[in-house]
Amino acid sequence: MRCPVAGPYDDDVWGAMKAGPSQEEIRRHNLGTLLRHVHIGGSMSRAVLAERMGLNRSTILGLVSELGSAGLVREELPRDTGRAGRPSLVVRPESDRVYVLAFDVGVDRLAAARIGLGGVFLDRREISVPAGRRDAGKVAEVLAGAALDMVDAAGHGTYCVGVAAAVRGMVRRPDGLVRAAPHLGWEDEEFGEDLMRLLGLGLPVSVGNEASLGALAEHLRGAGAGCQDLLYLHGDIGIGGGVVTGGQLLSGDQGYGGEIGHMVVNPRGGRPCGCGANGCLEAEAGERALLEAARRDPSATGREAVHAVVEAADRGDITARAALHDIGDWLGIGVANLVNVLNPRTVVFGGTLREVFLGSAAQIRSRINRIALRASRENLRLRVGELGDDAVLIGAAELAFSEILVGPLETLARAGA
Amino acid sequence: MTATPTTPILRLSGIDKSFGAVQVLHDVSFDVRPGEVTALVGDNGAGKSTLVKCIGGIHPMDGGEYWFEGAQVQVHSPREAAALGVEIVYQDLALCDNLDIVQNMFLGREKRRGLVLDDTTMEEMATQTLEGLSVRTVKSIRQQVSSLSGGQRQTVAIAKAVLWNSKVVVLDEPTAALGVAQTAQVLELVRRLADNGLAVVLISHNMNDVFAVSDRIAALYLGRMAAQVSTSDVTHSQVVELITSGRSGDLGLARSNGVTA
Ligand SMILES: Nc1ncnc2c1ncn2[C@@H]1O[C@H](COP(=O)(O)OP(=O)(O)O)[C@@H](O)[C@H]1O
Ligand SMILES: [Mg+2]
Ligand SMILES: [Zn+2]
Repeated sequence: MRCPVAGPYDDDVWGAMKAGPSQEEIRRHNLGTLLRHVHIGGSMSRAVLAERMGLNRSTILGLVSELGSAGLVREELPRDTGRAGRPSLVVRPESDRVYVLAFDVGVDRLAAARIGLGGVFLDRREISVPAGRRDAGKVAEVLAGAALDMVDAAGHGTYCVGVAAAVRGMVRRPDGLVRAAPHLGWEDEEFGEDLMRLLGLGLPVSVGNEASLGALAEHLRGAGAGCQDLLYLHGDIGIGGGVVTGGQLLSGDQGYGGEIGHMVVNPRGGRPCGCGANGCLEAEAGERALLEAARRDPSATGREAVHAVVEAADRGDITARAALHDIGDWLGIGVANLVNVLNPRTVVFGGTLREVFLGSAAQIRSRINRIALRASRENLRLRVGELGDDAVLIGAAELAFSEILVGPLETLARAGA
Repeated sequence: MTATPTTPILRLSGIDKSFGAVQVLHDVSFDVRPGEVTALVGDNGAGKSTLVKCIGGIHPMDGGEYWFEGAQVQVHSPREAAALGVEIVYQDLALCDNLDIVQNMFLGREKRRGLVLDDTTMEEMATQTLEGLSVRTVKSIRQQVSSLSGGQRQTVAIAKAVLWNSKVVVLDEPTAALGVAQTAQVLELVRRLADNGLAVVLISHNMNDVFAVSDRIAALYLGRMAAQVSTSDVTHSQVVELITSGRSGDLGLARSNGVTA
């Protein structure tokens, strides 16, 4: 949000003390804020915008027309409301014109999507791949190929304004270096740089951790919408975590914060974890632990394998029930600790943990009720993710949109509009 | 007992109900709050469905008070319950197989324009209701109900209940006959109703369902309300004890001589 603009408005009054924001900075900030409102909230009238932003209507009118002539928003009649009377115009984001590219490097699936302003999926490609080690350069090639295909199909008069990718690993801030993605065998990969070079769009590629981005997505558009303090647990090959506190995604000093899966819940005699420690939440409550406890082939991981256990338990399979019981208990222990430390309003279970939660909610909740502090837990809400498998991709898109929501006109100009 | 208590929108107190010589409900009190899912649990025969039918105006109550939005009311028929904004989705769904989704949603309350049914308005209202509930699983609202899965049928029945600006929606075992995936859909819908501000009562035997979506749990034991507690205050085993013996530690019915219940 730092802006180098200094000008005639930086007069002596401010100059004597700390420089206040210039008129231009304020305007830029307001343009970004307005765009964010319609990007997240969908079409809304100028009156609603004025109320939400605490600005008068003529200021809003000016901002809307500026964004409108840039081609970022458009005013139109709302979709039929079914109500009588003359409806007022609504401000709508130009989803078809302005878009980002979002990538998700999954365990057994590479996904690329073209997502329009407002969060609309315009196009998507998915490539199934066998789980296991994979060369970062190759992954970047596949994704860039799919993306360029979509960019071509988008045609003239459309603008890509950002690119971001999600990986299951530790990502350094702010440069996006992937320090470690064990399931892919990656170490210190400049994955974002690779993608940027291959795409050749002149746009930097932001890289983020998959669960952090899932948290961001559920916070902005899913089960945690409107909730400023959110804990997100994402199950797939491991257990990833994302924390939103006070409306901000927790990143920590270098970006590695939120590794809930490696919170140690059972240090003495606990199961070995991929990270080298024993008794991490991921080791006790992850997919592999569930499948082993249910005496199923632990190499047959993935959504179907987890689903099969939950379904078997529902049909009365005692082993499957006991397994879910156990896993639920560990999840409850993990969440209860985090509830005491972070006091979230909402805990969201995403990825494969969605089904695990529904199949073991009694254990999870009971454990939380026994060990979390009463004041911290009494307004706690447990929810399943609403965005399903797309949470990570949507989160990546939001990361890619962050530039244009800060400086709409500058970012669009850079994109060549 | 949460830090931000809401007042009940629906409050029953001292409800008695007998069928002939058999007393099925004894002095039952029950509170339902907006924005919350209240799970109503109890063994088979505990009186859950009977209580629900009293709320819905199907069974007359022998004694007790029915309060709605702070005022005492009399509810003698489903129509009177509906007029208050109380809708019940009964165990045996009562959807007509040979009618389509719109026809079912408006059954008995068709919109008319003069003497003809106003199809456009009904279609619009049905579509808006389903969209408002983020229901994306039905292909066409002109689909016959017989072609729907169990989960979709529940969804239609629930949509029918919320179509009429209802304030309280009671669901009697909506997930009993459903598999895992469809149960998840229905539970999500239940949660969304409450998050949208409705008061929802959910009857279920599945403790995972109860703990996954409820804010409060009311346990009936042999026709008596053993306890009504916040879901953040109890454990699975306490709820099971309340269901099977009417008490758990300090919770539940007082141990009393004489009353064998
Ligand atoms: N219409 C009725 N006539 C006679 N007895 C009934 C009637 N409805 C319910 N009962 C009896 O009332 C008791 C409670 O039944 P019900 O409310 O259906 O329990 P639940 O829904 O908790 O399983 C049972 O013993 C049942 O046999
Ligand atoms: Mg019943
Ligand atoms: Zn670990």
